[in-house]
Amino acid sequence: MTEKTTTVAARIADELASCGVKLVASLPDNWLMDVIKTVERDDRFTHVPVNREESAIGLCSGAYMGAMGSAALMGASGFMTVIYALTKINYTYEIPLFLMATLRGAVGDHHKHHISNGLYLRPVLDAISMPYQIIEKPGDIGLISRSYHHTRTFSRPMVVLFTRDLLRGGH
Amino acid sequence: MNYVECFRAIARHRTNEIVITSAGNSGQAWWAATRDSVASFYLDASMSLSTMFASGLALAQPDLKIWAFMGDGAFAMNPGMLMVERQMNLPNLTHFLVSNRVYGATSNAGLPNAADNDYAAIARAFGLERVFEFRSIDAIERDLPALKASNAPGHTFVVLDVEPFSDAEQKLEQPPFDGPELKFRFGRHVESVTGCDIFGYRI
Repeated sequence: MTEKTTTVAARIADELASCGVKLVASLPDNWLMDVIKTVERDDRFTHVPVNREESAIGLCSGAYMGAMGSAALMGASGFMTVIYALTKINYTYEIPLFLMATLRGAVGDHHKHHISNGLYLRPVLDAISMPYQIIEKPGDIGLISRSYHHTRTFSRPMVVLFTRDLLRGGH
Repeated sequence: MNYVECFRAIARHRTNEIVITSAGNSGQAWWAATRDSVASFYLDASMSLSTMFASGLALAQPDLKIWAFMGDGAFAMNPGMLMVERQMNLPNLTHFLVSNRVYGATSNAGLPNAADNDYAAIARAFGLERVFEFRSIDAIERDLPALKASNAPGHTFVVLDVEPFSDAEQKLEQPPFDGPELKFRFGRHVESVTGCDIFGYRI
């Protein structure tokens, strides 16, 4: 962890807590490790590492039906595996869900194998009419709260997408 | 044992448990057995996620007792859910694995390795300790009350060994609710019994 990324992770955690999020379900992506470690240490949250991203969708949706605020945290590749769960549970029953994922495959990603996410992540979101908000820099972190509240207002899922520059401190 | 009769037997021992059913035949069977339209969430639109959904609810409302049904077809798609359940180890959650050895909702299509899957052994291998199996209605009538009444810590996993739906049972009515209606019926019930506020969200 660098001081800068630790600060970003702490600010993300504070933003989640300010929304009333108590449960964070996660599957890792390297870019997210500071956020996951921060949430894991933070007594304001119950952090549940899950076996696959769809399990996070189920957990957070059930938590909503018990009036508990929650967030599902995952990489872009993981997000691409949850379209079935999202559209079946959250669209069918109109259960709000807040997700946080990485904007893999965008300019600055060093990993060639994320080309598919660069090409298809946002088109897939558009295809299922799912709103998203890109969080590019620390000054944008406040948009997490606005996005979380959007899910509750409209009873739909929404995802915020973190860039590499935000999570790994630039180049 | 007969699938629907098994559910009727379990329903006879239900007091205030909240029920989550899965994609597949469990929603039809529970609806046939109970006609419950408020304290049961028929999560038909989800393969393999009923117990994760139930775990989120059980975590959020620890004073509620939650029963979650899931077929072995759904289980085959996501057996790693048991790792998460064991880790959470919620004492107010009972996972009923309905083992009919087929994909029941799709005309009893074949399930991989059906004859040899030992679900109780799989659960124990993941570290679950409260693992039970029921193979007859008599066993449910005899042992479910004690299982239910025990104040043991930790999550409970129960395998129900049932026959696949017959052709006639496949035509049992599906729970007749649109998604949002079900959400509000069920959510209002949870609000009324717990005092929590699901739908009164304010920014």
